[in-house]
Amino acid sequence: MTVSVRLPRVLTETVGSGPRHEVTGRTLSEVLENLFTAEPGLKGHLLDETGRIRPHVLMFVDATRADLETPIRDGSDVQILQAVSGG
Amino acid sequence: MKRIAVGTEKGAYLLTGSDSSWAVEGPLFPGWKVTAFGETPDGTHLAGVGSNWFGIGVHRSNNLSDWAQTDSPPAWPEGSERTMEQIWAFHSDGERLWAGVAEAGLFTSGDGGLTWDPVPGLNEHRTRDEWSPGFGGLCTHRILTAGDRVWVGISAVGCFRSDDGGITWEAKNVGIPSVDTPEGAEPPEIGYCIHGLAQDPTDPARLWRQDHRGMFRSTDGGDHWERIEDGLPAGFGFVIWRHHDTGRLLTVPLHSDANRVPVDGRLRAYASDDEGDSWKIAGTGWPDAAQFTGVLRGAFDGDESGVFCFGTTGGKLWLTEDTGESWRELEPAFPRIAAIRILG
Repeated sequence: MTVSVRLPRVLTETVGSGPRHEVTGRTLSEVLENLFTAEPGLKGHLLDETGRIRPHVLMFVDATRADLETPIRDGSDVQILQAVSGG
Repeated sequence: MKRIAVGTEKGAYLLTGSDSSWAVEGPLFPGWKVTAFGETPDGTHLAGVGSNWFGIGVHRSNNLSDWAQTDSPPAWPEGSERTMEQIWAFHSDGERLWAGVAEAGLFTSGDGGLTWDPVPGLNEHRTRDEWSPGFGGLCTHRILTAGDRVWVGISAVGCFRSDDGGITWEAKNVGIPSVDTPEGAEPPEIGYCIHGLAQDPTDPARLWRQDHRGMFRSTDGGDHWERIEDGLPAGFGFVIWRHHDTGRLLTVPLHSDANRVPVDGRLRAYASDDEGDSWKIAGTGWPDAAQFTGVLRGAFDGDESGVFCFGTTGGKLWLTEDTGESWRELEPAFPRIAAIRILG
């Protein structure tokens, strides 16, 4: 399955990558692992030490809130957002 | 021409200039807190950044304008119950790079900050389960080295020293009042809220310590500490910094732990020219108007030419170019300032 992953600007500027990545995977977890292979610097920004999605990071698959087990279909749109919080 | 790197709650800024003319570049790292600056043994610049949402990062640069994030910042092992919250300090001993972090830990790098190894003798110290955070969190925020001796400051745990290059560690807090022990009780091994550390590099056994409970000095490498507050308006504060050419010590006192602003709003650096025996207001130029602001431990730096600078929690910079004899406030106003680095 090949999907498109969109990143928030604060992360693309930090790792020096483009806003959109074409990645393969059957679940969101596999998609992220393949994304981290291409952009290792993203892993610690998206997952915490326990391997879970950081509390203030939101991930959507085809506009539906997703978790690491969410299945991916070919052509899915994965969007990663920063939760709106803080001052 | 000097450059001053300013790390704030909202990105970093770079000031270039001298005297009355300073150009401001930035923000660098927009959207990120910039909590520490450093240099690798080969002179590459480092910035430690953090985010309430995205964790921490280490960036490297050869020119202070173009930065690249490393792929492997200090990290606790996957599955760890500890979280990597902030990079508090970088320190180069000339060969290795050290990083102090929160949740409290110490890491070293032998490749200029590209990869990091934990220091298990400290991170897994036998007292670790009893470590408690201060108001700023549980953090390793100060690192000093002299040969095989290494000192760190951990809040609210205390000063630790290694005599074997970081393999084994002992707490060094005799003479310091604990923050969590009633008066008259047996002094504990840990439970001390150290805020800052400075050292005489020509005699590394001579140390100065701004602690939560006051200003202290050691002449035996930290084995014993004595209070040195003659002339200070308050013992509380975060900064202790030493100008090595002259031996001048500088601090910025704050009222107290419950009231972390200058006494009566009188923002002043204080200097000691007698190893801490006595203190006086450092030079002139201080504002008449009250400044209800603080100065954090990483927000004071200087160089051997006598340029010293500190930043406040209110986002203002104060500068002297004559070893602290005359001070002035620089424009513009920045977000809350956590880190200052003077660069040649």
